[in-house]
Amino acid sequence: MRKTTVLIAALIVVGAAAASFLVWHASPGPLASTYFLMDTVLTVKTVGGDAAAINEHLHALASGVERMTSLYEPGSETAMVNAAAGKEPVAVSPEYAALLKAAAAVEAIDQGKTFDMAIAPVSSLWGFTTKDFRIPAAEEILRTLAYCDADQLELTDTTARLRDPRARIDLGGVAKGYALDVMEAYLRTVKPQPEQVIVDFGGNLLLYSGGQKTDWKIGIRDPRGQGIIGYVLSGDAFVATSGDYERYFERDGRRYCHIIDPSTGYPATLNQSITVISAIQPMHGAIGDALGKVFFCSSAEAQHTLFQEMQGKGVVGIVVVDASGTRSALGQVTLVLASAQ
Amino acid sequence: MKRGDRITAVVLLIAALLVTAFWIFTHRTPGIRAVVRVDGKVVATVDLTLLEPRTLHVQGVLGPIVILADGKGSIRVEEATCPDQVCVHTSPAHSPGDQIICVPNHMVITIEGRGTSIDALAH
Repeated sequence: MRKTTVLIAALIVVGAAAASFLVWHASPGPLASTYFLMDTVLTVKTVGGDAAAINEHLHALASGVERMTSLYEPGSETAMVNAAAGKEPVAVSPEYAALLKAAAAVEAIDQGKTFDMAIAPVSSLWGFTTKDFRIPAAEEILRTLAYCDADQLELTDTTARLRDPRARIDLGGVAKGYALDVMEAYLRTVKPQPEQVIVDFGGNLLLYSGGQKTDWKIGIRDPRGQGIIGYVLSGDAFVATSGDYERYFERDGRRYCHIIDPSTGYPATLNQSITVISAIQPMHGAIGDALGKVFFCSSAEAQHTLFQEMQGKGVVGIVVVDASGTRSALGQVTLVLASAQ
Repeated sequence: MKRGDRITAVVLLIAALLVTAFWIFTHRTPGIRAVVRVDGKVVATVDLTLLEPRTLHVQGVLGPIVILADGKGSIRVEEATCPDQVCVHTSPAHSPGDQIICVPNHMVITIEGRGTSIDALAH
């Protein structure tokens, strides 16, 4: 009798130890990979599935988007459209046409006053393309703005054309978000399915768990320091942030950020950061990315009106840090402030 | 309580202790540290809980980078040869999850360790 008890107890000990080892072993840390492209960092963290192959493939997809949209690579579709400005329409791929169409739909929200793919020549005046920063003369900005409006682009399902020979488009405001769309479409079909994939492409996020996870904890970066101002909880999502704190220059104590307000031609000053959380729907990576600029160039009042109009169209919520540093959230997200944790 | 029952109880208690000890052992996290990577490969690790200031010289893709750990728990980029100087202008990093990135040099400093409570950082 005693021997039996000891034996059973010993089995329990071994069993418990083995179980705890298996639990520990079955949930290894994510495989993290870092890549540099599109003038920024791509970090992929994958748990489960063939993680190494998934990370490599996601990088390859991002490279493909860079080759298609780059302002600088001569063979890109953007470069071809720009080179033919003022001439004949250029034949473009269906993917590129779809991206331009999605971006044009965001421009149309307020007639290109807050997001404009054709603002590139004004950004160049400020030196944001060459990193040779300067403050252009007011007259120079006005003269350039004349051919930088959102109406410059004529689009069909197969062609694109810029009306003015001096007009240029830059897809920098949607390309990273679009790359997340392409990645999400691939992740949905890959077998075996990974448990979780977190993609951080220059601060734009894709949180993927095949719909399993409903409590992703998304930290919102403090625009005036390191650390976070707080976090929001969300299911699988695209998260796009536009901020004035990563690409900017200072002159005489004033900050000039890389996001140009298309209605004035000057760097936007109404907000420090905007984070747009979008549901996983086709093209919502790109749309969320572009909407970040719309909200970044809008006042609090305009933001509320805009958000009312787009509720139920895939935008889950928006976190706003305005120019005075005040934090607020629009939509179905609750911003839990770091100090309240 | 029979003698056999007592032995069972003791053995179960030991089992529970062993499982707990094993769990703590496998889940323990060291102090806060800064990990410096170039092209994804770790080139330096600094324990930020140490009180002595330290200067690191790291070779980036573009050129040398001087990194300063201040001995008060923060780390920052002191000098770099990149054209935009984004990394030099980035606020000092100190909390788990903080990052300093130099794209032209393919260099990322990440603060790792206890206290990373978020899944991802929107920035």
